[in-house]
Amino acid sequence: MGNASRLAIWQYITAIILIAVLTGHLIERFPPVTHQAYDKSLSMSTVYSRFRGAWGIGLLLLAYVALFHGLNGIRGMLYEWLPGRRREKIWDAIFWILFIAFASIATYTIIALPPLPK
Amino acid sequence: MGEDEKEGTHGVVRTFRNMPGFWKASLNPWLIKVKNHPERLAFVLHRVTGAIILFYLLLHIIVTDIPAYNHSWYAWENIMKSFNNPANHIGEFIVAGCVFFHGLNGIRLLLTEFFGVCVGRPERPKPPYVAPTAKSCQRKLLYLVFILAAIFWVLSGLIIFGVWG
Repeated sequence: MGNASRLAIWQYITAIILIAVLTGHLIERFPPVTHQAYDKSLSMSTVYSRFRGAWGIGLLLLAYVALFHGLNGIRGMLYEWLPGRRREKIWDAIFWILFIAFASIATYTIIALPPLPK
Repeated sequence: MGEDEKEGTHGVVRTFRNMPGFWKASLNPWLIKVKNHPERLAFVLHRVTGAIILFYLLLHIIVTDIPAYNHSWYAWENIMKSFNNPANHIGEFIVAGCVFFHGLNGIRLLLTEFFGVCVGRPERPKPPYVAPTAKSCQRKLLYLVFILAAIFWVLSGLIIFGVWG
């Protein structure tokens, strides 16, 4: 199996996970579900309770999977645009650096979340 | 994209010819020719919308980190208030359209490419050759993707611009 095929398999696997988790994330802002206007449905307390509850882990999973899916898609395009063994290593390195950096930011968001002001 | 006709062992074989070059062939929706080949349009739109969504995702992760980074919710609330303007709503509307098309087309790709549904059976190439996939139900699925994405995009616009909800 070539490198491009290996990347494509991961795109399909992450896409299946994304369909479920991203649908949940989008429904969180859907007015008939929140019973609030779109602009009003994003308050400090709402976001805090989402991050601190069990859904916080779901949102973290969403961030990891969406990051992997998106960056891997760009990596696949770069494989096509500028092919070659050495270049593929460069694209792989950029992919992992960006993935780890943004996944770390997402993790920090959940871990270091400050309490709500009183 | 043009068409070539070659004399093969089974008669004249028509083959599609892609425009040369990565950018022209895969990323620029205005340069590709999609007559009788809507899959090509979907292919390009899938990439363009994916790139837009990734850009939004990276910004979204950074903005969401503001309370943790500043150890305060007030900075986050101020930024959220500054985002509440028409220009930002237009941006959200564009991202919503990208998400709906990319997601629905992604489901179609999963069904056809990963699970092999709706792609038709392999057959002997008889002239004039039409690929079985072009005659199979995946094309109806593709038109359904375009229609549903447009409907969801309009509905999301009603929500984002405060008409509904």
